[in-house]
Amino acid sequence: MSTMSTPSPKESIARRLAPVLTLLLLASLMALPLVVTDTYSLHFIWKVLFWAAIAAAWNIAGGYAGLFSLGHAAFFGLGAYTSILLYMQAGVSPWIGMIVGSLVALCFSLAIGLLTLRLRGSFFALATIAFAEVLRIAVVNGRDVTGGSEGLSVSFAPGLVNMIFQDRASYVVLMAAVLFVIGATTLLIERSALGYSLAALREDEDAAEALGIDTIRVKLIAIAISAFLSAVTGTLYAFYILLIEPTTVLGIGFSVEIALIAIIGGMGTVLGPLLGAILIVPLSEYLRAEFAASLQGLYLLIYGTILIVMVVFLPNGLISAIRDPRSVLRRVRRRKSASSRPEEKADA
Amino acid sequence: MTAIYIQLVVSGLLLGGIYALVSVGLTMIFGVSRIKNFAHGDLVMVGMYLTYALTTWTQLDPYLLVPVVTVALFGFGLLLSFALIRRIQGAPQVAQIFATVGLGLVLQNAALMIFGADFRTTNSEIAGNVLRFWGISLPLSLFIAFVVSMAVIACLTVFLRTSMVGKAMRAIAQDRRAASLMSIDVKFIDMLTFGLGTACAGLAGALLVPLYPVYPTIGANLVLISFVVVILGGLGSIEGALIGGLAIGLIETLSGFFIGSEMRQMAYFLVFIAVLLFRPAGLFGQRGSETLGS
Repeated sequence: MSTMSTPSPKESIARRLAPVLTLLLLASLMALPLVVTDTYSLHFIWKVLFWAAIAAAWNIAGGYAGLFSLGHAAFFGLGAYTSILLYMQAGVSPWIGMIVGSLVALCFSLAIGLLTLRLRGSFFALATIAFAEVLRIAVVNGRDVTGGSEGLSVSFAPGLVNMIFQDRASYVVLMAAVLFVIGATTLLIERSALGYSLAALREDEDAAEALGIDTIRVKLIAIAISAFLSAVTGTLYAFYILLIEPTTVLGIGFSVEIALIAIIGGMGTVLGPLLGAILIVPLSEYLRAEFAASLQGLYLLIYGTILIVMVVFLPNGLISAIRDPRSVLRRVRRRKSASSRPEEKADA
Repeated sequence: MTAIYIQLVVSGLLLGGIYALVSVGLTMIFGVSRIKNFAHGDLVMVGMYLTYALTTWTQLDPYLLVPVVTVALFGFGLLLSFALIRRIQGAPQVAQIFATVGLGLVLQNAALMIFGADFRTTNSEIAGNVLRFWGISLPLSLFIAFVVSMAVIACLTVFLRTSMVGKAMRAIAQDRRAASLMSIDVKFIDMLTFGLGTACAGLAGALLVPLYPVYPTIGANLVLISFVVVILGGLGSIEGALIGGLAIGLIETLSGFFIGSEMRQMAYFLVFIAVLLFRPAGLFGQRGSETLGS
């Protein structure tokens, strides 16, 4: 990870500029609804912001703490279902439901973390898949409360208290605000003692422990924040789409797409998820519009291919290529020479 | 009443035999190459569709095509290993997890594009028969799948103990670097292992075709089951995969009967959590082997 070693002057400028750039980008995104008014474009912008937000939430666990969750749909879905159920059954405002749902997701993430983080390796990824699947099955079978596989739909009753708006622009602004909060949280983490602990942890877990970092505690904090923010995004999604069903909201496909966007953009960076969403959402919209009727599955096939190519050739994401194009060339060259050399770090 | 319980236990064990075969492939690849193949279930799916397609095309009984599918999947495994898996050998965890997740996505959606989302079933004249003894009845296809699975697992065990290639595999599993110093062609053995693991998945798929309908996302289910089996049995252990597979088959059938068939996956999850809590190395894993996953 080139950004973690002593930064070259060029890099440190980039690091200092990053928050300014992020703010500018988000500000321009928030201002977009003033210029763009047609429903389709607004929906499209909302989608980009939405995927950027959920991928950024994943990034805090996956990118910064190295906790490669394949079940973030569970945290997202807990937020969506909790707030919708509270709203429909008890008339609780989604603004409060959002907080409650996020706390529920946070508790579940801590439970998974406590169970699996003592162990290294892929247990965490496996446990998150299993957990998300169990939640999906529970929701499908708890028909009386959750509406089963048909899901739950909310009737359109506009009002600020209901988090339901007449115009799409309000939704876009709201999602941009959440993305901003997630981005700011990420930036704060990156610059805090927690961020340095996380960086140390990613580089070498044993060394980090030897330095006195409580690695399990640090990971738990990261996954808790990530789950909380994912659930917030879940509530926003639920009250925009006004329909949630277990296959879309809790399915493993959704979890993979979340991770995919963060990985393609660049894990462990503030801007990576946004970059990933800006690239992937238009691509998926195009592919779905062009080929959905004739060739279903094509867009996911292309997603899968992109994912493979990215993790093999550009594991630090597209953002690393933008920041330092030469490092990519170096990597490719190293790969070529490495293939003719005996293996070195085989049992890493 | 006892007949029902015997029936449940026997069919659970038979089903577990197939899970064991699927999991043996996964655990071998992990043990030798330290690769956690999240696409393993999708390789079973490929085996199932290949059997389905060949059966429809040749009009032969699916059981006659089992060897063809197994060999084809062995070749497919070698190809995948050459094109992708060797590139993520020793790479960071994120690359290993998401490259195989991506592979799974590609395979699933290629199947969706070729065969559509419908459930496909294959008829076999042999599979229609039912075995009856001790007051219980079992589909012959389940019985055949179990016997073949056990035979293959037994052969693999003998192969790993006695043949040169098998010994090389075990040597790499113990210490990759030392093995390469003993002039073992580590990369070649890696490829061979992945081919064998894929062949196990394909064979299991071919045996499953007369039993279950095939659809593109069936692999996602199977990969979760086989990871639970492998973790229960101990990562990298063939005996563990066997015992774990039988146990999970039994748990699935019993919980399906007593709690309801939709809740079966709850049962796997509980087993998974129990293993993580009480014996993270698995039943047959060496102490400390849980950290090898990193």
